[in-house]
Amino acid sequence: MAAELEQAIGGLWPYLVVIVIGFLPTEVWRVAGVLAGRNLDENSQVMVWVRMVATALVAGVVAKLLMSPSGALAVVPLWGRLGALAAGVAVYFVARRSVLAGLFVGEMVLIGAGLWGSQL
Amino acid sequence: MRLAGQPDGNGAMFWSSFRAGVRQAAGLPSLVLMASLIGVGGLTRDIGYPIWAGVLSTLLLWAGPAQVLLFGSLAAGASLPAIAIAVSLSSIRFFPMVVSILPLLRGPGVGTGRLLFGAHFVAVTAWTEGRRLLPGLPVEQRYPFFIGFSIMVMAAATFATGAGYYLIAALPAAFAAALLFTTPMFFTLSLVAGSRTLADWAALGLGFALAPLATALVGQDFDLLVVGLVGGTLAYGIHRMRGGR
Repeated sequence: MAAELEQAIGGLWPYLVVIVIGFLPTEVWRVAGVLAGRNLDENSQVMVWVRMVATALVAGVVAKLLMSPSGALAVVPLWGRLGALAAGVAVYFVARRSVLAGLFVGEMVLIGAGLWGSQL
Repeated sequence: MRLAGQPDGNGAMFWSSFRAGVRQAAGLPSLVLMASLIGVGGLTRDIGYPIWAGVLSTLLLWAGPAQVLLFGSLAAGASLPAIAIAVSLSSIRFFPMVVSILPLLRGPGVGTGRLLFGAHFVAVTAWTEGRRLLPGLPVEQRYPFFIGFSIMVMAAATFATGAGYYLIAALPAAFAAALLFTTPMFFTLSLVAGSRTLADWAALGLGFALAPLATALVGQDFDLLVVGLVGGTLAYGIHRMRGGR
């Protein structure tokens, strides 16, 4: 059914996907937060569980992006992708919890692995 | 929506607080968000979507992980309802975040309409910076400061999304790979930076470790849902066992 709809609306399809599959499922929680107002404690058990699920989900996305990458990232071998991630996290701690330092070094290692890997 | 719906004197106050928020956002917060969203522009191109779909996703979703989930799952060929559920699960965190920042945004002349507008900007950066900075401001300056801050970081991130779209095609292979790598690297560091308890670390580690397993067991469509629910619930179990309340 999705394929037929995609055919029917052509070039507008990506925008429809962004709005219906992306925007609405996200914004509903912000609106709910405003409407529920002050009756909720952010430290309640349900909220802790929600935070754990969201964390695991985002970590899962990262793993999928690294283990089975699409397009340009696939030119870097798996060891290079995982090694760059580990290097970035290590530097984050060494550089007194600096996200930018970790990001920078992770990128450098990845570029190095990409250049080295493409010459083999 | 009228932002400065107050009489003249208050209108001037609104815009001076707004500008203070813009200035606060113009340095590191904008840079960090640019780094996190530039890869989303690359992902958008990677799946053959037009640049404005990527730009629109930054303006409307304003949630890096959800945008990566959306475009990353489309790249992997997951079914649309499964993607919508995964996106929504990843965004549930906005609910407690909005609830907890609401008391700081309320003030004279800030009704439900303005709160809904302000809540749209709630994401990791605006939320952490808002909770840090807003309590030190007079009540009537908080909302305009927050809106100024948020619009500045969103403008920077939106620009980066569009730039990433073009950069990925113009760069040599290793650098294009680095552009796409920005997103997983940045989100890993954000998660690491936000992890305080053993349960937080368990959620992070389980999410990472369960992903390949879940893909093998349930396939591309629902693997992330399984990872989130199973990994998150196990981590919550650790939280309870350690007497967390």
